[in-house]
Amino acid sequence: MSSHDLTIAVYVLFVLCGVGLELLASGKRSRIPPLRDVFSRVMRTRSGRVGVVAGWAWLGLHFFAR
Amino acid sequence: MVERSPGGNGPQRIDGDAARPDATAVLPAALAALVDPVVGILLLAGIFDGISGNPIHGVVLCGVAFALAVDGFGRRRGEPTPRAVPLFHAERVPTLLVVALATAFAFVVGGFGRYSWPATVVVVLLGTAAVVVAWRGSLRPGQEPAKLDPAGALSWASVFIALGLWELTQLLLQPSLTTDSNAHPTLSVLSDPVLGTHPGRSIGLFLWAAFGWFLLQR
Repeated sequence: MSSHDLTIAVYVLFVLCGVGLELLASGKRSRIPPLRDVFSRVMRTRSGRVGVVAGWAWLGLHFFAR
Repeated sequence: MVERSPGGNGPQRIDGDAARPDATAVLPAALAALVDPVVGILLLAGIFDGISGNPIHGVVLCGVAFALAVDGFGRRRGEPTPRAVPLFHAERVPTLLVVALATAFAFVVGGFGRYSWPATVVVVLLGTAAVVVAWRGSLRPGQEPAKLDPAGALSWASVFIALGLWELTQLLLQPSLTTDSNAHPTLSVLSDPVLGTHPGRSIGLFLWAAFGWFLLQR
């Protein structure tokens, strides 16, 4: 397995972990919160809300803008 | 001295000494505002992105960090916090309209070249507008979100932190910060073949806009 393949395999692993956590969160008595609840909690303060939205804006800049 | 306000909204204290913030509290308030983790993260990210050849990214991130620091400084000095009033309520915006606007945005801006000035201007404007909207409060205000189970919160945090560290590792394994590597591709390098085309950029922009709309309702 090349470095390229290993790198991609680990990215895929992160995606699978995220999907797995979201599936676990859908269970009735799960201790894992769905991702939307995590965002709601983190964004309950102005600082958290603006910080997360600034991170989202940065994603757009990073992938599409100069 | 107590005086009734002209608008008849009850007595207002206008005693100068009582209203003036304690000068000795300025420094601790300023330091506390700067050590807000969100301010620190945005400031560091902005500085490093700026010196890596992305001045616009640096200005945006540092600008938001500065605004949050000033806001936090004012609140720590005891200035009244205005009630969070969203600019508008998400429930009043038809979903079909949001989808139509996002589709039009993605199609038009996707037609601009990647990293071009027109795309940059539109993304900066939309990002800035979203920060302003977020500043005023959630577009779907409701009850205080429930506390998270520590184990559950740790699970999500672990995934995001590990992903960030893995991405950083790939970045540092490149020949230089500005030279891509096929052996150690970052997410942006992996996205190049898709975002290099008009349809790919449009899909990416649509997903980005949809994620932003989702966040503004948290």
